[in-house]
Amino acid sequence: MMLESHLRQAATVLLEYAIRLAPSDTREWGRAMEGELNHVEGQWAATMWALGGASVLVKHALASFLIPGRGGQDMVPDGGLFAKSASLRKAAIVIGGACALAALLFFAAPPFRQAFQVALRPWFHLYQVAPRNSQPEIEALAKRAEMRHDPEGLAFCAVRLQDPRASARLAEEAARLDPNLLWVYAVVAMRNPGLSETGPWVEKLERWDPQNALLHLITAESIERAHFRRGVWSPPTQEQERAWQSTMAAAFQSPKFDDYLDRVAQINRRVVPRYGFYDPYEVESRVWIDLPNHAFQNSERFAKSLLHTGADLEARGDRKGGRDEYWTVARFGQLLDSQGRTGLEHWMGTSLQAMAYRQLQASCQKEGNQSEAALFAYLAAKFDAVEGVHPGFPGESAFGPDISRRNAAVVEISGLMILIFSGLVLVATSILIAGSLRSARPAAQRAKPVATLVVLTSAVGLLFSSITLYLTYRPYWYIVQSAILSGDRVQTIDLRYFLNDFPMLPGISPRGYVTLLNALVYSGSPSFLFYVWTGVTLLAVSGLALILLRHLLGRPHAHAP
Amino acid sequence: MLEKFLERSTDWLYGYELSRETGLKSGTLYPILMRLEKYRLLEACWVATEDGVPPRHTYRLTPNGLELARAKLAEARPRSMVRQPAFSSG
Repeated sequence: MMLESHLRQAATVLLEYAIRLAPSDTREWGRAMEGELNHVEGQWAATMWALGGASVLVKHALASFLIPGRGGQDMVPDGGLFAKSASLRKAAIVIGGACALAALLFFAAPPFRQAFQVALRPWFHLYQVAPRNSQPEIEALAKRAEMRHDPEGLAFCAVRLQDPRASARLAEEAARLDPNLLWVYAVVAMRNPGLSETGPWVEKLERWDPQNALLHLITAESIERAHFRRGVWSPPTQEQERAWQSTMAAAFQSPKFDDYLDRVAQINRRVVPRYGFYDPYEVESRVWIDLPNHAFQNSERFAKSLLHTGADLEARGDRKGGRDEYWTVARFGQLLDSQGRTGLEHWMGTSLQAMAYRQLQASCQKEGNQSEAALFAYLAAKFDAVEGVHPGFPGESAFGPDISRRNAAVVEISGLMILIFSGLVLVATSILIAGSLRSARPAAQRAKPVATLVVLTSAVGLLFSSITLYLTYRPYWYIVQSAILSGDRVQTIDLRYFLNDFPMLPGISPRGYVTLLNALVYSGSPSFLFYVWTGVTLLAVSGLALILLRHLLGRPHAHAP
Repeated sequence: MLEKFLERSTDWLYGYELSRETGLKSGTLYPILMRLEKYRLLEACWVATEDGVPPRHTYRLTPNGLELARAKLAEARPRSMVRQPAFSSG
């Protein structure tokens, strides 16, 4: 009883508020409903009475607000004077139109456009098992840059294209148009060590930036690559080995290390806005592509050979000669650590230092110098413990994988809902237009109330999905922006979690790596998923078509008197 | 509802009374009353009740309303006699 009494009270208050909201010519009716409320028998009945009355008044208030100059009462119902309820078709269409328009306006916002593309990306994999590839977009951008004779645009593409020949051609063209972009040779050569242009490029670069250790590392790698011909490794000749040793020695003696990634970041800042190439997948993948891995394998190998030589010299009694070798390794490690920009460079720098200090510690211990041995032990332990943390490298996740996974799910579903609601709005609008024609079939006219309801609810759903998509993706937009425009990659770890954690329909993963149906896909045809999802889609479309057909050809409803 | 008005064409009827007799809920009944009143097919007036209880709105059909009601009912009766088949293509 208490609950019913409270409900009645609440409904009465609601009715009073609705009277205040109602247009002036409808308030009297509101008071009439309120007057009757005192005579309604039963708490539930009174509650329902008040709610029904409030809904009538709110509809009129809404209609009056949306169609000014026409009071709610002026709305003549399509079903006649005795239609079950007042027709608010026009109000519904106006609200639906406003929602659909507001949702469309979201597309004017770049974060929303990017969010929409990201949200729909996993669905493309329903029909495509191959991992996502942004190379066609970069190739298209390269063509635009060539047409504009834009050296920075060409350099931007040269460092991103995976085709070594195309990459080299663009690098040549960029450097020809702007000699200050000569550094592009180093980045392209670093990523494509087998290029025949590497030799002449390094000669030019040595004249342009003579003390950079990176150039020696590139040369050493091209010597190393010479052992691989058509995928077959052949042992290096003595001459090749000597050339490699002297090149690495030059690298370890260099006073400078510049991987030119600052210049790459500068180019990104200018070129991305110029061409509108805001691709979150590309930003996320840059984290790995920026790292010249093989250079460090050479460095480690050469460092070990120096430490070995040092140990031999010490064993032969040449302690000073031995320690000089250790210090060479430590200095090069310090160079990488202090001047490198990527996490791997810092990691390599610290690990080389740790190796060198460990040798120096052992040397001091043999000598009986315990205090220096303790110092080197401390330094070795310190550098051993250092992880490759740097402002330019992804740091700790701010959101965590769980939140990123949830956000990815919200974005994915919102994108899908936008598509579904847009489709419903289009279909229902077409039915409304068809039903409004003089020559309209009775079936189309009958469908108008349902179509109006579908337009309204779908448009509201469309707006809600758009708002959700925009708000959920917004933080990732800032991560992409900040990675591209300021080179700040601290939060790209969250972007990576987000892009890789899109929940999928069975058998589909966001980056094209098959999960649940792994065995089926790899044991059979790669187009298995294509057939599965084509079947599902066809079934859904056929079902929808059958429902529509049943509705349109169904028996006509008798008009109410 | 028209039948109820016709049965008691000279009486003033309350909204709740109409709702009970026709089975229409307030959300359905009042929009119809409002439309009828707007087209001058229905007249409404306030009547005072006992002290402390707000006055009540009462309704009856105007002569035009009565005429329309009779015509509508006459039109509806023969049609309600015809039964539609459960399924038809038409």
